[in-house]
Amino acid sequence: MLDTIFIGLSLGSVLLLVALGLAITYGAMGVINMAHGEMVMLGAYTAVMTSLYLGLGLIAAMPVAFLVTALMGLAIERLVVRRLYGRLLDTLLATWGVAILIQQAVRLSFGLAFAGITIAGLGPGLQNVSLPEWLGGVFSVAGSEISVYRSFIILVSLLLAALTWFLMYRTSIGMQLRAIMRNPQMAAACGIDTNRINALAFAYGSGLAGVAGVLMAGFKTVFPDMGTPMVVDGFLVVVMGGVGSLVGSILSAGILGQINGLTAAVSNDIIARAVVFAVVIAVIVWKPKGLFSYKGR
Amino acid sequence: MRLTKSGLNTATYVAFIALILAAPLVFDPFWLNRLSKYLVFGMLGAAIAVSWGYAGILNLGQGLFFGLGAYAIAMSLKLASATSLAQGSDTPIPDFMLWNAEPGAPTELCCITKGSFLWIPFQSPWFGIAMGIVAPVAIAFGLGMVVFRKRISGVFVSIITLSVVLLMRLLLVQAQPLTNGFNGLTDLGYLTVLGLEFDPYMPQTYYLVAISLALVLVGARLLVETRSGLILQAIRDDDRRARFLGFDVPRYQTFFFCASAAISGYAGMLYVMASEFASPTFMDLSFSITMVVWAAVGGRNSILGACIGAILINMIEATVSETPALMEAWRVVIGLAFVFAVLFLPRGLAGLAAGLRDWLVARSEGARPHAAPIPAAEERGRA
Repeated sequence: MLDTIFIGLSLGSVLLLVALGLAITYGAMGVINMAHGEMVMLGAYTAVMTSLYLGLGLIAAMPVAFLVTALMGLAIERLVVRRLYGRLLDTLLATWGVAILIQQAVRLSFGLAFAGITIAGLGPGLQNVSLPEWLGGVFSVAGSEISVYRSFIILVSLLLAALTWFLMYRTSIGMQLRAIMRNPQMAAACGIDTNRINALAFAYGSGLAGVAGVLMAGFKTVFPDMGTPMVVDGFLVVVMGGVGSLVGSILSAGILGQINGLTAAVSNDIIARAVVFAVVIAVIVWKPKGLFSYKGR
Repeated sequence: MRLTKSGLNTATYVAFIALILAAPLVFDPFWLNRLSKYLVFGMLGAAIAVSWGYAGILNLGQGLFFGLGAYAIAMSLKLASATSLAQGSDTPIPDFMLWNAEPGAPTELCCITKGSFLWIPFQSPWFGIAMGIVAPVAIAFGLGMVVFRKRISGVFVSIITLSVVLLMRLLLVQAQPLTNGFNGLTDLGYLTVLGLEFDPYMPQTYYLVAISLALVLVGARLLVETRSGLILQAIRDDDRRARFLGFDVPRYQTFFFCASAAISGYAGMLYVMASEFASPTFMDLSFSITMVVWAAVGGRNSILGACIGAILINMIEATVSETPALMEAWRVVIGLAFVFAVLFLPRGLAGLAAGLRDWLVARSEGARPHAAPIPAAEERGRA
């Protein structure tokens, strides 16, 4: 029983990692960033590349990935998303185009494939990242085998959630962001530089996705299409938790993770995913604003 | 000659329909078969335009209706195929059911695998054809009644439809003994109704698709111009005002959602006839979003524009897919086209055409050309 709950917890923490960034870009800024999954993918590739060329481990790759994807997010915000604030569904479509572009950039080694040049670690193939020794094994608690790496992921996602909470609720930038969430015009009228805050928030959300990608590289195969299913899962978590509610996202990631883990334990993974979808549909129909929400933007 | 807007619109429709009906004169059977698939995608584009452009409902699960239509007729055609008939039984049995059956199970549709009795009515092609429309419409109706009555709108509808299509896809794959799972339904027979056999490489199949598309385009166009269609557009632009004016908003939304589902289901059936397979990939998320891409590039507010967008994109894709390197580059082009269409051309190619039309009208009236046309009201996302 304990190991089932633990599996649910670790599934939930992976969901949370992806959803945290979305909770900011979508929840706070009203941008549906379909390229968020590609940020995860870029993070994973950063882990591959840094270990390949710089010999960095998984832990050291995290800040690098954060930087890379945050800059990427900043570029996307400046070039595309900035022109689309207030046109929610259009942000979805435009960022889907961006997602395709990023995928192709990785698949084609930034376009060099056309010139016949291939970069090791990129390209359409599958990549793997090896875990450091001390993250590998398992330890046992009350007779149940628990994977060290999964516990590590849970720990990191909780730390990141705490960091995000701190930034949102205890810093001046966070306060400005929350003001924009409630009412962007009013916030701008009060002298908040909404352009700057939006760009920063978008970059931070993308950076979180990059860190999530590094962690995922530790237990999943890395390939150019890996992001698409993640962005869907992330959205389900955010929408179910309630747009703009950090606590809601954390709780709904936990709930969906547990539902997934428990259902998978009694049947199989496909049914478990189906049940997750069904639960999310039911929740949206029952409470379209999500479980935890307030009136905002 | 005095040009009018509606006159030019009609002329565009007539020209397009004449063009697709004349295609067999130019193309060989291989390309004709390809073209018939793209016309089917054009029909999907039109279905998206109805629900997205006119009803303001961005359905990210259009593939569900397409897939249901496809599977309904594919089940009938599977039972009509040679591989199903020659299985040593009086009634046809799909070959994959025999592979999946437990040893000693009776080779009858009623009980070879759990739930296989569901296939029994599909022995009649008419049942398959009917289900290809009825099943999507029934699901769209149920979904619409719940979603629109609850006044769920904007992106939440998109998320729900997206979840529903992914859910159905999982169930479809899970029901492997019944649906052949990931492999889908292949080795299908030809549809034979009223003495006509629809071989995918014969002109009659192309004509069936082309005429269907013409009817769907004209029908959809007439539908959105009825009073209900106008009320629907009023709802799209401001649902609250429409509600205060006393219109039963969910009823109109549900009706047009169902209409869009029916078109998609029909398109799914035609696609199976042209391509001879049905696969769970029809319900992939990327396919549903791709449809929206077609409509967005072609023009979300224009039924014909969305249709032509779909056909053009697919024709170009087919041409470049001959060389793998070009194919990869093409995906970059598609991604870029999509970003640019959303940023700079929110009304798509149809918006350009409408500008040209207005310029022609203004010139024939002898007046100075109008300033840039006012863009149609964008749907406003309310998060």
